[in-house]
Amino acid sequence: MSIQNLNTFDPFADAIKSSEDDVQDGLVHVRIQQRSGRKTLTTVQGLSSEYDLKKIVRACKKEFACNGTVVEHPEYGEVLQLQGDQRENICQWLTKSGLVKPEQLKVHGF
Amino acid sequence: MDEDMVFDPSLKKKKKKKTGFDMEAALAEQENTSAEAPAETGDVDVPEDDNLDLDTFGKKKKKKKKPFFNLEEIENALPETPPTEEPEPQEDEVIDDLDLDIDFSKSKKKKKKKNVDELPTEDDVKGEDQENVEDVHGDWIGSDRDYTYDELLERVFDIMREKNPSMVSGKKQKFIMRPPQVVRIGTKKTSFANFTEICKTLHRQPKHLLDFLLAELGTSGSVDGNSQLIIKGRFQQKQIENVLRRYIKEYVTCHTCRSPDTILQKDTRLFFLQCETCGSRCSVASIKSGFQAVTGKRAAIRAKTA
Ligand SMILES: [Zn+2]
Repeated sequence: MSIQNLNTFDPFADAIKSSEDDVQDGLVHVRIQQRSGRKTLTTVQGLSSEYDLKKIVRACKKEFACNGTVVEHPEYGEVLQLQGDQRENICQWLTKSGLVKPEQLKVHGF
Repeated sequence: MDEDMVFDPSLKKKKKKKTGFDMEAALAEQENTSAEAPAETGDVDVPEDDNLDLDTFGKKKKKKKKPFFNLEEIENALPETPPTEEPEPQEDEVIDDLDLDIDFSKSKKKKKKKNVDELPTEDDVKGEDQENVEDVHGDWIGSDRDYTYDELLERVFDIMREKNPSMVSGKKQKFIMRPPQVVRIGTKKTSFANFTEICKTLHRQPKHLLDFLLAELGTSGSVDGNSQLIIKGRFQQKQIENVLRRYIKEYVTCHTCRSPDTILQKDTRLFFLQCETCGSRCSVASIKSGFQAVTGKRAAIRAKTA
């Protein structure tokens, strides 16, 4: 009984889990990709799996007036995709909403 | 403000101090210089030091405001800006730098605005400075009063300059390289013509820079027979410059002293940047392209995999 009790509680479970989910560095990577023509795509990788990405994407779509979706990736977990170059928007939004600390954001691209 | 005077031996400011207090003239002059500033620093820098200058692509000078793709600029954007400016704008620089990472389009505009905003204050400062200069010099020679902080500062920097003559001329080593030559090929590809040359200038393996560029740009590409890099997608010179700047900041200049005289070594899966100037050694971020969205024609992909 007592041993079982000890086993059930692992204070570091969260930490282990999140480090696995974020694959690498605990950073949120904001990237841009070119599509056909002048069209671009913004991806956000590394958001904590504690957050409901579907909710986030819904809010972002409304806020930035763009389409967006959540993609499940075997290695990188759930990734946010937004149409157009939303890097600035998403960075501001994520920090303002307190979901991500500014120093956790890593913006890539040109 | 005093620090400014002490630290900054640049020609511009000294000149102005000599010319006196004519505010209007100063203002006008200031405006001129701030408008031309980028080009001017380029002009001034070149003859002044023995930098790693390859060629000062003079042709483009007139067309572009920023003809030099200059490490100096990056360094100025770093948080620990050497105090070439008053404390106030320095803070601005820090903010700008954060911005730089997030938002490239605006950072330039902001910088310009900042210049305009600080015009009057800088002039005020200059007026005060001039008075201070007189105070500081010689005042304590005959007396036994305590030195003021400013005087001590100046003493220290005088000694430093005396012992390190190289510091006087350039403050630090400048590093000028040719800008990337970026040309569009058709509608979907971009050529980075002097890619290999830039790798040589930076003393980095083409593969390493290539990996970084492609990961950052979220695209694919390869070096062709003429040693130019062909990248999928449309990119402008300015955009490639931005990425190169970040590359240099992370993988070329020393993170401690910012000297470009460094060696990149691979050691058990991690890259380390070894500085030849100050001897510091630190690990650098590994290059990962991370998540890549599917952008091609899905039908074609499906056909391939099926
Ligand atoms: Zn160093």
